[in-house]
Amino acid sequence: MMRAAPSPEEARRHNLGTLLRHIHLRGAASRAELAEGMGLNRSTIMALTGELTAAGVVREELPREVRRRAGRPSLVVRPESTRVYVLAFDIGVDRLVAARVGLGGVILERRESARPRGPFDPDEVVGALASFTRQLVRRADRDAVCVGAGAAFSGIVRSADGMLRYGPNLGATDVSLGDALSRRLGLGVSVAIGNDANLGALAEHRRGVGVGCNDLIYLHGDVGIGGGIIVGGRLLGGADGYGGEVGHMVVNPGGRRCGCGSRGCLEAEVGEDALLARAGQVAAGRIGRDAVRAVVDAADRGDAVARDALCRTGDWLGLGVANLVNIFNPAMVVFGGTLRDIYLGSAAQVRSRLATHGLAAPRERVKLRTAELGDDTTLIGAAELAFSEVLNDPLEVLGRLRAASSGT
Amino acid sequence: MSVTPVLDLRGVGKSFGPVQVLHDVALSAYAGEVTALVGDNGAGKSTLVKCLGGVWPMDRGEYLFEGRPVRVGSPREAAELGIEIVHQDLALCENLDIVQNMFLGREWRNGLVLDEAAMEELAIRALTGLSVRTIKSVRQPVSGLSGGQRQSVAIARAMLWDAKVVVLDEPTAALGVAQTQQVLEVVRRLADKGRAVVLISHNMNDVFAVADRICALYLGRTVAQVKASEVTYSQVVELITSGRMDGLDGSGAVAGRNGTGRLREAGRG
Repeated sequence: MMRAAPSPEEARRHNLGTLLRHIHLRGAASRAELAEGMGLNRSTIMALTGELTAAGVVREELPREVRRRAGRPSLVVRPESTRVYVLAFDIGVDRLVAARVGLGGVILERRESARPRGPFDPDEVVGALASFTRQLVRRADRDAVCVGAGAAFSGIVRSADGMLRYGPNLGATDVSLGDALSRRLGLGVSVAIGNDANLGALAEHRRGVGVGCNDLIYLHGDVGIGGGIIVGGRLLGGADGYGGEVGHMVVNPGGRRCGCGSRGCLEAEVGEDALLARAGQVAAGRIGRDAVRAVVDAADRGDAVARDALCRTGDWLGLGVANLVNIFNPAMVVFGGTLRDIYLGSAAQVRSRLATHGLAAPRERVKLRTAELGDDTTLIGAAELAFSEVLNDPLEVLGRLRAASSGT
Repeated sequence: MSVTPVLDLRGVGKSFGPVQVLHDVALSAYAGEVTALVGDNGAGKSTLVKCLGGVWPMDRGEYLFEGRPVRVGSPREAAELGIEIVHQDLALCENLDIVQNMFLGREWRNGLVLDEAAMEELAIRALTGLSVRTIKSVRQPVSGLSGGQRQSVAIARAMLWDAKVVVLDEPTAALGVAQTQQVLEVVRRLADKGRAVVLISHNMNDVFAVADRICALYLGRTVAQVKASEVTYSQVVELITSGRMDGLDGSGAVAGRNGTGRLREAGRG
């Protein structure tokens, strides 16, 4: 069946979303730049920015810099970062983070707590995040509006309904966390949930080292190893959204036992446990990112055991990267979380493995990079997930939320 | 596909009296790439950097900048071409703040007075352009900065002057691991923003963390210029310590020959 041409209303909605997305991702821009970037004429841009300004999501101002050119300067359109925000949550193995993130991707305020290792208690997590949220919302400007919420979870998430299917390092199985959290927050927005490494890939692709790179693989080290694969500018989800679990790619059959029940998974050879065990730190009871960083630091200072542990870990990581490069031909592989430290500390091993096991053609131009957003990569990814609804239809979403809040 | 290197030195020779330090050195650096210059102590790395920076004249050899033969007789001439060298001592003034250091000797004026606001804004932009987040204020004196922060300021200074080639002499020597990591990321970003970066380092791990190409010197000769994706750690160590490399087929690097130092480069372009 032929689809009819978009109605003027659809075109307008589409253009509003595109313009807002541009401002959100690329920051303040002059009307002239927007017109050029979107391929629309300036009067259309003016009408669109007018509507967005009226809705309170952007504001227009004279440019801040003194320009040394003649003529009337084009007005600059800026995101209303403090008035339009989302809630972003990062549910890691060792930490819980909640943040208020403004339009444009600015972290306005954050709360963080350490999570003790142990069984995953959804009620406890929901309770902690809800309490953070109350503090964050209370400190927001009076006229600010929360337009969405998103959470990054270090485990397998079903894309259809946000169901947490499995979190090997969190001990969670089949939990409907998004619904529970949405109800508890009571802000009229639903909490979208995504796999942390998938969201990290999204964040680095949109705002980090991978801007402009449409084929990238993000590898995230927390306790385990997660992966997010972007192909042709889109996140690879697979049939159910479970795609990209590169941590459970078997690199060493018969190797170390993995939390998933298998042996020799990339995660089992490169994850926190493997590094700390090789470095003899397990008996000392040290765990977490700080323990991983301490091993990298000791290796740098010349500690032979730590150096050997790091080199062997880097060897396995390189083998994993070589497999990924051979299969996906990414333009870039990004190392985030603790893998940033492990990569920078063992790059010689990682790249030697890649040179040995990678096919010449795909490895020739692949760039290996570290996450530009640092420890906030997954959190920013959760915020991006939370913003997606308002960016698709800004006026409808804002209208609905403002009506709901004034109705109470 | 062949790309013209921004900086291309060929057949460089340099003697100090009876001591010939550089025999036959070649070094090519490409825009957007980090070229690591590696070699043992006494291989000639520092001498080469001084020659390319115009501190010492070369006795022999070709110096091509963006494909054109040039003569670089002084550091000022190197800077005018767009070559910035960040020396190990960084050449920062302890008592001056970050902005003053970045514009030292090249201050912006607005009429008779210095244009402080504009300089400050540019300094901030140079630092944020390299995602240097640990520096809170550009008005603090350099004496209060850590080693890694100083290195970042020195690199941002090169960025500020729109250098086409930035040469970094052992930028991570004497830094702790956290600062080394930050500096490596800054070095990588500098190249990703289009500069040709030459990184001198003894640390093979740092080299592999950021380099696109590796140029190995051995006793005053370039013994290989290879793509970092084509070689392993042990091959590079072998090049540095013995000047030879086994285990590479014809597509790999071949040692420099016959005066021009022109090399067959692995998978060029």
